[in-house]
Amino acid sequence: MAGEQLALTVLMGALLVAIVALSTRLENWRSYTPLAGGGALGEESTTVHREKPAGIVRWLTTVDHKDIGILYGVYAVLAFAVGGLMAFLIRAQLVVPSGAIIENSFYNAILTSHGITMLFLFGTPIIAAFANYFVPLLIGADDMAFPRINAIAFWLLPPGALLVWGGFLIPGIGASQTSWTMYAPLSIEQTQAGADLMLLGLHLTGVAATMGAINFIATIFTERGDDVNWANLDIFSWTILTQSALILFAFPLLGSALIMLLMDRNLATTFFTVDGGGALLWQHLFWFFGHPEVYILVLPPMGLVSYILPRFAGRKLFGFKFVVYSTLAIGVLSFGVWAHHMFSTGMDVRLASSFMAVSLAIAIPSAVKTFNWITTLWNGKIRLTAPMLFCIGFVSNFIIGGVTGVFLAAIPVDKVLHDTYYVVGHFHYIVMGVIGFAVFAGIYYWFPIFTGRMYQRKLGKWHFWLSMIGTNITFFAMLVLGYLGMPRRYATYEFDAAIAPLAQVINFHLVATVGATILLVGQLIFVWNIVQSWLEGPHVGPDPWNLKEEAPELYGREYVWHENRLETALADGGEEEDVATDGGEPTDAADEDAPDAADE
Amino acid sequence: MGLTPFDRETLLDLTVNVIPLGILGFFILAFIVVNPFGWDPVISTIQFAIVGSMFVLLTILTYYAGKAISDAEAEMEAAEAAEGTDAETDESTA
Ligand code: HEM
Ligand SMILES: [Cu+2]
Repeated sequence: MAGEQLALTVLMGALLVAIVALSTRLENWRSYTPLAGGGALGEESTTVHREKPAGIVRWLTTVDHKDIGILYGVYAVLAFAVGGLMAFLIRAQLVVPSGAIIENSFYNAILTSHGITMLFLFGTPIIAAFANYFVPLLIGADDMAFPRINAIAFWLLPPGALLVWGGFLIPGIGASQTSWTMYAPLSIEQTQAGADLMLLGLHLTGVAATMGAINFIATIFTERGDDVNWANLDIFSWTILTQSALILFAFPLLGSALIMLLMDRNLATTFFTVDGGGALLWQHLFWFFGHPEVYILVLPPMGLVSYILPRFAGRKLFGFKFVVYSTLAIGVLSFGVWAHHMFSTGMDVRLASSFMAVSLAIAIPSAVKTFNWITTLWNGKIRLTAPMLFCIGFVSNFIIGGVTGVFLAAIPVDKVLHDTYYVVGHFHYIVMGVIGFAVFAGIYYWFPIFTGRMYQRKLGKWHFWLSMIGTNITFFAMLVLGYLGMPRRYATYEFDAAIAPLAQVINFHLVATVGATILLVGQLIFVWNIVQSWLEGPHVGPDPWNLKEEAPELYGREYVWHENRLETALADGGEEEDVATDGGEPTDAADEDAPDAADE
Repeated sequence: MGLTPFDRETLLDLTVNVIPLGILGFFILAFIVVNPFGWDPVISTIQFAIVGSMFVLLTILTYYAGKAISDAEAEMEAAEAAEGTDAETDESTA
C-alpha cells in the first residue's frame, strides 16, 4: 500500500522533470522577450519614472519590475500583519488551559489561517518583492524577461488572499478548520464552505508563484548583462534561481492535489478517502510539495543574508562558491526527504530509514553555510547597523532551528516528539527567527533604495532587540513544552497529568505568550518606523552605507544604479540632496559598536 | 575522478557537495550490508531508489554547475588577461 503510493508520487515527480526538460528544448526564451516586453512600449521598461501615469493608475497598470516589487512588498507586509494578529490571538487563547478568549472552532480557524497566511500570503510574496526589485538590478537586466506576466502573477495574489480569508470575510459560511496541512480525511469531511474558498485561493497563489518562478528562471538565464556570468552571479540571484526551480517542481503538484481534494469535498470522488487512495496518499502528495516549500521559503533569505552580512563585516563572503554549490545541493535533496514528516504514520521502517538518510545528508549543506557566515564575521570590521543585527540574529536562530530539525530527522526522536510543541518550536525558529529576520535585514538594507530615504536607526535597533528576545522566549518555551509532552494544535489543554505535567505546561504557555507580546511590540515599532520614515525620513545620498569607504569591492550593482538615479534626478533639478545623512551613520556606528563586535 | 574537466581549485570547491554524497553513499552501503528488516521487492527497491536517485541527481547537478562556473571563470580570465583588470573570483580558496 505505502509502496504503491510512494511509487505514484515518484512517478509524478518524474513526469514533471520530463515536462520541464521538454519545455526547455521547445522554446528559445530570448526570442520572445521583445513581445512580452510590450512591443511598442518597449522603451518604457527602462528606468524613466516621469513617463508613468500618476497615482493609483500607475500602480494598477505598471509592468516595471521595481513597482511590482513594491506591490509585492506592501501586499506581503499587510498579510504579515494579519497573520501576526492571528498568531497573537492563538497565544492569548492558550494562557489558561480552558482557553481564554475564543471558541474551539474559531481557534481552529485562526490556527489554519495563520499558517496559510504566513507561508503563502507573506512568505512567498515578500521574497518575490525583493527578487522582483533587485534581481534585474543585480544582474544588469533592463527588466524581467516577461514584464506583463510578472504583473499578472502579482495581480492573482489579492484575489487569492480574499479567497483564503473568505471564510472570515463572508459571514455564515464558516472558515476553514483543516490546519495548514489539510490532512484527509478531516479536510474532506468538514463542511465549511470557507475551506473550499481557501483551497481555491491557495491554488491561485500557487499559479502566481509558478508564473513568477518561470519568469525568474528566464530572466536569470537570458537577461544577464554582458559582464555577468555564472562565476560572478551574485549569491541572492543564485538562491532565487534555485528557489524558482523548486517552485516549478513543487507548486504544480500542490495544485493538482488541491484540485483532487476539492473534488473529494464537492464531487464525491475518492482520491483521499479510505475506499480510494487513502489518507496517506494526501500526506505523500502534500509533503512532496511541503518539504520543498520550506526550502522555497528559506533559500532566498539565506541568499539575502549571504549578500548583506559581508557588507557590514567589511569583507567578501567567505567561500562564495561553497555557498553556491550547497544551495544547489539543498535544492536537489529537498525532494528526497518529504516522508520525514510521516515517520509516525506506520510507514515501512526501510522506507523511513531512507528518508532519514537523505534528511541527515541535507543538514550538511545547511551547516556549511552557517560556517561560511561565521567565518565571514570572524575578524571582520563589523558594523552593527539594523540589517547587520538581523543577519547575526538570523545565524544564531538558524543554529537552533537547524539543530532541532536534525534531531527530528532521527526516527526514534521523531516518534517521541512528533505532533508536540517541539515541532512548532523547531519550525518557528526557522520561519520567524530565520526567514523573518532575513526579510527584516533586506528591508532595512535596501530601504534607502526603494524609498530614497533613511529609516530611524534607533527604532530599527529596538525592533531588532525586541524581535530577538521575543523570538527566543516564545519558541524556546515551545521546545520545552514539546519535551513536556504538550501536543500541538490544541485549543485547550485541560488534560490529565498522564499526558503532560499540567502546572509546568501552563507556565511555559504563559512564558510563550509573554514572548509573543514582546514580539508584537517589536513589530508595531517596525511598522511605525517604515511608514513614518517612508513619508518623512531624511533623504539619502548615493552611498547610504558608506560602502565605498568601508568595503569598496562590495559596493553592489544596485547601489551603482541608485547613484545613477540620484544623479539623473539632480540633473532634472530634483530636490536637493542631503548627502550627509549617511543614515546608518556608519562612522558613528563603527565607533560605538566595533568594540562589542570584537568580543564576540 | 582523474578524467574530470575541472582544475584543482574547482575540485576543492566541489568537495562541499562531496560530503552529502558521501553520507548518501554510506547509507546505501549500510542498507546493503546491514539489512535487519529483510528484502522486499517493492519496498526495498523504493528504499534504494530514494537514496540512489538523490545521489545521482546531486552528482549530475554538481557536475554541471561546476562546469558552468569554471567555464565562465576561464572566459573571464581570458578576457582579463587581455585587459589586465583583477579577478573577483578566487575568494573561496582563501
Ligand atoms: C532550513 C529550513 C527549515 C525549515 C523552513 C523547516 C520547516 C519545518 C516545518 C514548517 C515543519 C513543520 C511541518 C508541520 O506542520 O508538521 C518542519 C518539521 C520538520 N523538520 Fe524542519 N525545517 C527546516 C530545516 C530542517 C532540517 C535541516 C531538518 C533535518 C535535517 C528538518 C527536519 C524536520 C522534521 C523531521 C520535521 C517533522 C517533525 C514532525 O512533524 O514530527 N527541518 N520543519
Ligand atoms: Cu521537512
